Amino acid sequence: MLARTKRGLWRGLTALLVLVLCVSMLLGNILEANAGTIDTALGTISSGFISEHDANNPLYDKYTPPEEFLNADGTGNSHALIEAAIDLGRREAAEGSVLLKNNGALPLGSGSNVTLFGIRSHSNLLGSSFGVKAFGGYISLEQALSKSRTDFANTIAWTVGSRGAANSPTVDGWSGDEFDFDGAGFNLNQTMIDIYDKLGETYVHYENEPAAEVYDPGEPSISEIEGVNSGFKSSFAQYGDAAIVVIARPSCEQLDYLPGGVADGLDFESGEPFSLTKNERDMIALAKECSDKVIVLVSSSASVEIGSLKDDPDVDAILWIGAPGCYGMLGVADILSGKVSPSGGLFDIFTARNMSAPAMQNMGKMYYSNTEGTITRTGGVLGFKPGAYAIEAEGIYVGYRYYETRYYDCVAGTGGADSSAGAYASSGNWNYGDEVTYGFGYGLSYTTFDYAMEGAPKFEISTDPETGAPSAFATFSVKVTNTGSAAGKTPVQIYGQAPYTQGGVEKSAIQLLNFEKTDVLAPGQSQTVEVKVDLQYIASYDESFDNGDGTKGTYIMDPGDYWFAVGNGAHDALNAIMAAQGMDASKMVGQGNKAQACVRAVNEGFISKTAFSVSKTGYKISNQLPYSDWNYYQPGEVTYLTRSDWAGTFPKTYDNMTLTNPELIDALNGKIYELKTNDDTSAIKWGVDSGIKLHEMYGVPYDDPKWDQLLDQLTLEEAMYIFSFGGPSIPGADSIGAIETYMTENAGNGIAVNLNASKDPDAPWAIPRSDPNGNWHPEVFANAPMGASTFNPELMYELGQFEGIESLFTGINILWGPGLNTHRHAYNGRNGEYYSEDPVLSGVAAMEFAIGALEYGLVAAPKHFAFNDQESERGGVSPWMTEQRAREVELRAYQIAFEATKYDTADYDAGMRGLMTSFSKIGAIECTSSYGLMTEILANEWGFIGYAVTDIYDDVDLWTAVLNSGTTCFDTRGQGNFYTSTTLENCFLFANQMYSDPLNAHLIDGDANLQLKLKDAVHKNIFAWSESHLMNRYNATTHFGSRMTWWRATYLGLEIGSGVLAAACAVMYVLSSVKKKEEERI
Amino acid sequence: MKKLSIGGYLTALAALLGLAGTILTIVSGMVSVDNPLANTGMIAAAGFVGAALCVLAIFAPSRWGNFDLLGSASILGAIALYCYTFGAAVGQRVMLVAGLFSFNAGNEAGWSVFYVSVAAWACLLVGCVLLVASGFMKSVKEA
Repeated sequence: MLARTKRGLWRGLTALLVLVLCVSMLLGNILEANAGTIDTALGTISSGFISEHDANNPLYDKYTPPEEFLNADGTGNSHALIEAAIDLGRREAAEGSVLLKNNGALPLGSGSNVTLFGIRSHSNLLGSSFGVKAFGGYISLEQALSKSRTDFANTIAWTVGSRGAANSPTVDGWSGDEFDFDGAGFNLNQTMIDIYDKLGETYVHYENEPAAEVYDPGEPSISEIEGVNSGFKSSFAQYGDAAIVVIARPSCEQLDYLPGGVADGLDFESGEPFSLTKNERDMIALAKECSDKVIVLVSSSASVEIGSLKDDPDVDAILWIGAPGCYGMLGVADILSGKVSPSGGLFDIFTARNMSAPAMQNMGKMYYSNTEGTITRTGGVLGFKPGAYAIEAEGIYVGYRYYETRYYDCVAGTGGADSSAGAYASSGNWNYGDEVTYGFGYGLSYTTFDYAMEGAPKFEISTDPETGAPSAFATFSVKVTNTGSAAGKTPVQIYGQAPYTQGGVEKSAIQLLNFEKTDVLAPGQSQTVEVKVDLQYIASYDESFDNGDGTKGTYIMDPGDYWFAVGNGAHDALNAIMAAQGMDASKMVGQGNKAQACVRAVNEGFISKTAFSVSKTGYKISNQLPYSDWNYYQPGEVTYLTRSDWAGTFPKTYDNMTLTNPELIDALNGKIYELKTNDDTSAIKWGVDSGIKLHEMYGVPYDDPKWDQLLDQLTLEEAMYIFSFGGPSIPGADSIGAIETYMTENAGNGIAVNLNASKDPDAPWAIPRSDPNGNWHPEVFANAPMGASTFNPELMYELGQFEGIESLFTGINILWGPGLNTHRHAYNGRNGEYYSEDPVLSGVAAMEFAIGALEYGLVAAPKHFAFNDQESERGGVSPWMTEQRAREVELRAYQIAFEATKYDTADYDAGMRGLMTSFSKIGAIECTSSYGLMTEILANEWGFIGYAVTDIYDDVDLWTAVLNSGTTCFDTRGQGNFYTSTTLENCFLFANQMYSDPLNAHLIDGDANLQLKLKDAVHKNIFAWSESHLMNRYNATTHFGSRMTWWRATYLGLEIGSGVLAAACAVMYVLSSVKKKEEERI
Repeated sequence: MKKLSIGGYLTALAALLGLAGTILTIVSGMVSVDNPLANTGMIAAAGFVGAALCVLAIFAPSRWGNFDLLGSASILGAIALYCYTFGAAVGQRVMLVAGLFSFNAGNEAGWSVFYVSVAAWACLLVGCVLLVASGFMKSVKEA
């Protein structure tokens, strides 16, 4: 019953307006507490830098975008930037796509009439549903093959939502510029395009899709095609010049494929997700009906089981195209039409059965049998499941290292390599030809090349007399001749083989040492390419080596013959070495050209066996990760694969391992560091004002005493803030004039901030919200394996440069990327974010990218350091491995990138200035908390100086152990308004500490070690800032200020409006109540 | 005690919803040890006092008549306190929810917290709406 009185009306309105007031107040609180994230999402700037800008106080004078991306008035030219991105994305795909088979069907002539098969030919796979997405408008395969102008407004990439989230377009829409391009000029069969368009309503696919633990590629059957158009085959006659079939297998963060994880009823060829389903095989059969030229495009970030296609004479060509990003289909079209001759090499070995990799015996979801009751540490803020592990019993034999080494031993007749153990595709005993489809590094061209070593390699070997640091390089001169009839370029891959003794240190029979790429060579043209190899990458890590100083383990160069070869992939190089060694050619798979190989006898006089026992920084190398090996805690329980006994040591599945060792259990429970409370810390200076400000630190070398003065100015509390909150928003520090800043973002394929949402809107080149191309999102490039497959260091450098330029326009100075973990096996769902199974290929690609990015002031922070070998239970999973494996496979990629020796000069120690740690452990210890990993190896051996952030919210319950290890800050996405809304004491992330009180400003008052570690961490963080374009924004006048945004104005307006009206209604209610009482009294 | 009118019943329902919402909010902070709710005491106190004010808003009109000052102030106070409980809880779960719908969809404990939290928030919000509605209505039947 509604009130009929005025009192009721005023009271109700008052209540309503009070509710609006309260809601707007809490909305305001939530918005302000998450202002950094809100700004990124909405493209606003709610606080930041306020500076005067004059001749005495210059700004934006340290890093600037190239002139070609600026308008006449100095603002950013978005059109030019997008045009350059299209060109770069196109070239990356054209050089990175790998031609695996071609019987002459390719290239196709312009004007060819072509039919596309497979739903993925219509709904292309361009990126990952989470991780490295392809954002915004894109150029589809159909457009690249048949059109000449983009249609971004109607071709927006979509993404599959994670559980609970809706599938959605990556951008709201596109009303900006469209761009002309020269496509392949084919005529496409519209009948099939229309059919797939209709079937897409049932088989829903998006450009960014995830891996799946139970996989279904969503390929329609032929009967379903007939159901849409029963007469579709009649179109084949007109469009039968070629039939192109597209097969896809996506990748993504968070999920793996699992052994046997396939949807029911699809008849996967091998019962595994990377084999072809019946519908996919039928589609290829249909393509054969359509045309004599059948071309298969494989879109994946891992090995797809395509052995049957290789052997099928009616399948004329196979081209791997990765997940090529928004514009990569143009590069694919360039190859199909012959504008570009393919020059990529495979990033991973492609096997007939991916399950044949020894790593596959131990992947997925395995848990300790006695987790409950033994592991007391919880899964943390992110709810990870405790007690997961993976025994990496394959040792160093990851990817091609396993297949090629076993092949070598088969031919040599050693180690029982030809036993049946581990044989999956072989009938009977293990056979390389049956197990491997295409080797690592392999790729065809439209022409042919001849490779020959020009003379012996030139060795330059020396030792620093003061530090003992080695400098040992071999430069190979390789004469490459184009012996075919088409112009083209080719990678020049140098491989090596160290001498192996049965029962000695494990050694791969072949390993990539370095690579370069030729220019485009005309038919008959030759080029001599010099490839410089760092010999430390052919040294082996011997964990049992007695260093004579009480420590064990270091790198050794065993005396003997070291073989080197150039080849079209690892297998070709190995065959060349085997031919040169005079091995039995009748047992070999393929032929070897001994002219491609050379040998160097190594003895103590040439290079000392322990030359590499000292790092380039002059630090003595010894075992640092004993806790990575399960046998360290519980001896004899794990057998690692050795080439001296392939059959006897081929990995078994180690499920249900039982924890018995108390030290192991303590480590898994995070009992790593004991906080001190009574140390004398009086000698450690905090809050000593020297009058130095952050803006003065640009270009100051890391070891300059001025840094000490700056660090002493910080209060202990300020330093704790900088360590605790590492981004994206970082805290300010009044004592040094540092300002709270939104600083970091993902990802490896572009900066994850829209052009018109720059975090640095005051930059003269800032692109305004009114720019028609303002909502262009720079994550447009291919997944990482495509970059790796280019085998082109210069192109990787250019990609880094371009993302550096993007970062100037988006105001992000630290990039959480690229991904730099190892493809341990094909089933790792996140392979699309990581380059390769090979550490040299990965490391070189990342190094080039990072140095290129740093040229424009962008600090690239590769992730996830280290050992993120699977996404299943990625949070806290324990990968167990030998230290040799850890160093030679997993860590080598990071070492190459961080040392960046190629770019060192007499005056400058080049290197990456950032990294992100892994969610995973290394053996029993969290990577974030491993002193051996973060300090001994990373800082002391490799000389890493920079920002070393955890993954999001990782190990926040181990604050003291993380600080002690050498990690420099936590990823605390979403936290902001430091010192007020977010404090050390109230931040929920640090409320639960395993072995100390909750975080507070006095937590380490009595711990001298941690205070010194804190100074070191903060020093490295601020040094990284000082090497970035963040310094563009600082001068002597810089201070912090809030800015009005539309969302701030909205909630403030609501608060004020509802507050005033509520008060007015309340007054009216009171007045009417008084009046009513007076009436009653009368 | 006079017979309740519609407004009184709505207020009574709001009291129950506020009580349920507050209890669920407390529970949401206990579902997972890694997802505690800071300031639980203050948040719970606000919710319980809000519910108590609802009860006062039901009984006050019996003595002082419909739309009395004390009952009205109680309704407004209850709305403010429910909103505080709601806002304090939501503010602490923003990043959890963002993670669940993106990179951290596999967080089973987080989803449990989420479901309980959503139930709590729904109770508190609906409670507020009912209180606003009751503000327009008589709480007790007049003789």
